[in-house]
Amino acid sequence: MTTQVLDSRSGESADAVAGRERFWAGVLTVARLELRQRVRSSRWVAVLVVWTALLALLTVLIRWSVFKAYSVSEQTGVELTRAHADAGRSVFGIVVFLVLSLGALVVPALSSTSVNGDRSAGILATLQTTLLTPLQIVIGKLAAAWTVALALLGCALPFILWAFFEGGTPVGRLVVGLVVLALILLVICAIGLGWSAIASRTSSSALLTYLSVAFLGLGLPLLFALSVPLVSQDEQVTVRNFQYNDDGTTGQCVTETQQLSVFHSERSWWLLAPSPYVVVADAAPRPAGVDSTSDPLSAIRAGVREARLGPDPIQDWCGPGATGGDPSSAATAREQQRAKDRERLGYTWPYGLAVDLAVGGGFAAVAVRRLRSPARRLPRGTRVA
Amino acid sequence: MSTDTTAGLPQAEPPEATIRGIVARGVRRTFGDVVAVDSMDLEAPAGQVTALVGPNGSGKTTLLLVLASLLVPDAGTVRIAGFDPVTQSREVRRRVGWMPDVFGTWETLTCREVLRTVADAYYVPPATARTRIDELLTMIHLDDLADRPTQVLSRGQKQRLGLARALVHDPAVLLLDEPASGLDPRSRVELRTIVRRLAAAGKAVLVSSHVLSELDEMADRAVIVAQGRTLSTEQLTEHVTQTRPWRVRALDQAALIRALQARSLSFALPETATERDGVEVAIASDTEAAALLADLVREGVPVLSFQPAAGALEQAYLSLTSLSGDRR
Repeated sequence: MTTQVLDSRSGESADAVAGRERFWAGVLTVARLELRQRVRSSRWVAVLVVWTALLALLTVLIRWSVFKAYSVSEQTGVELTRAHADAGRSVFGIVVFLVLSLGALVVPALSSTSVNGDRSAGILATLQTTLLTPLQIVIGKLAAAWTVALALLGCALPFILWAFFEGGTPVGRLVVGLVVLALILLVICAIGLGWSAIASRTSSSALLTYLSVAFLGLGLPLLFALSVPLVSQDEQVTVRNFQYNDDGTTGQCVTETQQLSVFHSERSWWLLAPSPYVVVADAAPRPAGVDSTSDPLSAIRAGVREARLGPDPIQDWCGPGATGGDPSSAATAREQQRAKDRERLGYTWPYGLAVDLAVGGGFAAVAVRRLRSPARRLPRGTRVA
Repeated sequence: MSTDTTAGLPQAEPPEATIRGIVARGVRRTFGDVVAVDSMDLEAPAGQVTALVGPNGSGKTTLLLVLASLLVPDAGTVRIAGFDPVTQSREVRRRVGWMPDVFGTWETLTCREVLRTVADAYYVPPATARTRIDELLTMIHLDDLADRPTQVLSRGQKQRLGLARALVHDPAVLLLDEPASGLDPRSRVELRTIVRRLAAAGKAVLVSSHVLSELDEMADRAVIVAQGRTLSTEQLTEHVTQTRPWRVRALDQAALIRALQARSLSFALPETATERDGVEVAIASDTEAAALLADLVREGVPVLSFQPAAGALEQAYLSLTSLSGDRR
């Protein structure tokens, strides 16, 4: 029997502790190498400067046009405060989407040529023959790419904050929104890394990465739209309809049953959830308790939750105007009920983010598998060294 | 010349030096329907330099990749210092230094950073790594370029850096794939010295190369391969006991020819014969060659030089590869 030295605090063997330290030391070696190799070579400082300048310009333009559209300068008193807050939140939403979209264009460049680029330069095998494991190499490469992505996010932060403080929303949720944004960028890095390990040519892996990110961001919402006929069916629906009296000017709401095609979006909303835009919109900060649709992020958030709720069992076609604008009318009560239902659903973004992280994890796992050596099979058209 | 063909390799327990070195038996590796390595046997004992010689495309590099634990062989067994590269790759990697034929390098890193990164990747303690890297940089004469990015290095300098990189973790087994390519004459001589010194320090060194004359001076043994198969293993340090051509030059070529004719030795003038080239004489063994030289000198023939027309390795290589008719 061999006796193992145990760490007094955790009860782990000293070997396990040393092994873990070594693991992260190896990851650090790879990450440092990647940053030196790629960042030094491709003038990332210039990229960061251009990126910041571009965001500054666009943010100023967005702020100017949004505040113009909300006619903020023409308002006074309470109206001014409300318009200013609405406009501020809109600017915030647009800037965040801008950062996400531009990030989705720039970030794949960091990782999508990471493995096959090294392979064709004959420097991958040099790492593989050392004591570094494929997992360490993948985590190291991912960490390096994410570091640069976070630098991009960091440069965008002043503009996000500026837009944010004009919206007058609580600060606490801002952190959540930024963390979610950072994690989405990590997922994009992982997708790029995965493709770079799968495809042998760097141009293919870059293209596949862009297509994958576009599929997540735009393809999935498109699929949701295309799925409408699949999840729609004819049903008996309770309808509140306005019936005119014989004089043609007065009338009242009557409840009746009609055969209607009903869109069961609660069966397909999950197609929307993983879209980074939806995730970021749902996680973005907003005034508590307000189910506002007055800015783009809130509108997306409300729309996705509406989809999760599915069709309203009572279709109300009377509307508040039809009953003479009485605020206590059934129609308004119905709308208020729906708004409450949406709030009660809770957040959508944890589901979407979980799916995205799983996708990223899957791509990273593929990269690990592809980096295993000694190798039995090689990607077509590649040499090992 | 002792030629033990692969069939006659001893199947008994390999000696201690072999256990600490490389043993490969019946290694086969295909890529799709291309057979890169058909069946190769190789031993590279510790303390010796073993040359791996063969025509282009004969499978040398693929075999080295298998030995470097980068490729799984389809068949056959490999032991590096007693460990299996497939199932015990970590143990193998700890002990193997591999210098690839196509030397890629991290272009924007400095020479020192490259070596430091590799040392880190082998978990060499920082203090040890620092002194070792300084030693290696001095050894390969890159001290003054140590803090310049590697993209400014010439091909030969990169090649030397590649050698240093393979040595950072002080491996017991060295795999050098075409280490001399791109090196200037001085660097070649230095490479030879370095390799001999490593062997003297008890390391098993396997060198693949095309430059036969060089391997002749560097290697103790040679494994000759063609078409993915091992043709033979030669002991280069032993005395040659087979007939081979010697080139003899004398100040007075006529006197030399008369002396050779008197012994009824068969000789030939080289194809592009000038006085300077001397004559080629077929001599049965090294002993007879020594005797002939003594006689010529005694008879007053003004001999200038007396040497094998081709190195032992070149001789063996040419006769074997022409037999197999392999010029892929």
